[in-house]
Amino acid sequence: MSTETLVGTGINVFTSDTVAVGKIRFLDTPDEVLDFIEEPDVAETVVISRGGTTTFMSPALMAGVAGLITLQGAPESHLGILSREFSIPCVMSTTFTDGIQTGRGETIPADGSRVRLDISGDKGQVFLLED
Amino acid sequence: MTEEIDVQLYLQKFQGKYPQGVEGDRQIRGDLPIPFIDTTDQDIRPSTLTDEQINSWLTYAAWNLWDFILGRASEGESGLIPRQEYETVSFVQQWSTYPRFVRILVDEIGVDGLLDLAKTSRREVGTKINVTRNWAASVCPILGRGIAVDLGFHDANSKREDLEELIQFGRRLQHGTWGDGPGFVSARGYQVPALDADVLASLVDQVRPLEGQSLKTFRRFNATTELFGFMLHYDCRAGMADTGPYRLPDGRFAIVRDHFLNETAYPWAGVAEGLPYAVSQVMVFPEDKVTATVNEIQTTFTRPTNYLDFLAEGVVFARQHMDTPMSQLRVLDDAEMTSIAEACHKGTLAMYRILARKPRDEKIRDGIMVYTREFLLSHASRVGLWDKFEAEGFDTLHENATRAWPVLTGGKAQEILTPVLLFGNGFPAVQADHAGGNRPA
Repeated sequence: MSTETLVGTGINVFTSDTVAVGKIRFLDTPDEVLDFIEEPDVAETVVISRGGTTTFMSPALMAGVAGLITLQGAPESHLGILSREFSIPCVMSTTFTDGIQTGRGETIPADGSRVRLDISGDKGQVFLLED
Repeated sequence: MTEEIDVQLYLQKFQGKYPQGVEGDRQIRGDLPIPFIDTTDQDIRPSTLTDEQINSWLTYAAWNLWDFILGRASEGESGLIPRQEYETVSFVQQWSTYPRFVRILVDEIGVDGLLDLAKTSRREVGTKINVTRNWAASVCPILGRGIAVDLGFHDANSKREDLEELIQFGRRLQHGTWGDGPGFVSARGYQVPALDADVLASLVDQVRPLEGQSLKTFRRFNATTELFGFMLHYDCRAGMADTGPYRLPDGRFAIVRDHFLNETAYPWAGVAEGLPYAVSQVMVFPEDKVTATVNEIQTTFTRPTNYLDFLAEGVVFARQHMDTPMSQLRVLDDAEMTSIAEACHKGTLAMYRILARKPRDEKIRDGIMVYTREFLLSHASRVGLWDKFEAEGFDTLHENATRAWPVLTGGKAQEILTPVLLFGNGFPAVQADHAGGNRPA
């Protein structure tokens, strides 16, 4: 039996009943983004980016990731606008209560953690899924 | 700035007083000494302005920028393109160079010619002579003035003629689009129904129901071309422009959306080879299900936010070249939409790979070229002046932009920019008692 724990809250870009579930992947450089889109499980991945600008994540948007989480930005940011056009669930300026530390001291879920994005309301919520 | 401010309050209300949106617009307009953000046939003509006119305009522009930028203030870093860095240096570059080029333009075609040029936004789609540029061609360089003052390059009363030229340039463009009344979108209820009724009708007449595969094709086309427009224009919104909402019969409304796919002005335009200059989407929605506003740089926001789930009808037109007549727009079928979307997908990846390898300073320089060209290139091209602009050094980096570069692209940029962008410091008033500072209109 799996359990869900709320670990992150941010601003939801667009409301939807879509269930976005996937494994976390933090992408920090353009090379990491380019390598990532060649991998087989892109559509089952929820990616995390630091900023809210769109061009950095454009290959991931086009590749059809399961969801997007940002640590900065807002729905009016370019990435917010584009995630809406691609209909990819997106939670922005997310604050996590539990996880690992990035090189800059930000708390995020570890790569490979399974999460579910709840984008049914104005707030976006990130739930950690554990078996 | 020396006085202490409550930062949280200043982020909720402009200068701690005026809120965002329609209510903020109402309040600040009510407090302006004169309604100079409205334009009339008479007051767009003088080349000199009173202090009261200038300061009314500056006060409103400061609120307008805060209102517009607040939602994206924490947009953060790109990781690919240093956009805030190139934008802020561009503001200084524009302040340093635009007045001269605007004078060349106005000298060539006159005020009435400028009004006619701005009417393009009412008669055409797939043109950058649009509402975004009405705003950006004056507000952005004047924000550059504020940065220059903040950096100590000159005081707020210097270069008054340049300030007057740019305020009037923007007001004339606004007047050409809207006629009498407010020219800022924020003062027009965040509605941008710029197209004349006959032009709109000729476009809407060709919409078709979108269901099943045709809906999927349309939505992929919309997303992919929009992303490519961002990429081609260095992550800025110059590559897209919405107008509307336009109320239609039978409880529907339309948004008309331009995506600019083949701007040949840039050295990297090869990634767009074969694509039309612009594609223009007409998208029809039921007004009982979704409502829309459009902001100063022609981006649509809706309630509910998942507006594309309510997309009912649509059509896409292609404008092959910048100067293709409106009569030669062509409707794209599903096969060509799929083909263009695929080309945009490949072009975006190609551009990404180029950018991933480019040095940061080179990207900042490229971005300055984009951001400086974008607000005047189409106007100058339309009246045959672009070659002259280039020959006169339009792209040459001004010494003030060079001076500002290390400050605005370095680690202390945020300290400087936050008060300029969010606390109203970007639009310092002119002073009546300053020598030469108060002239009759």
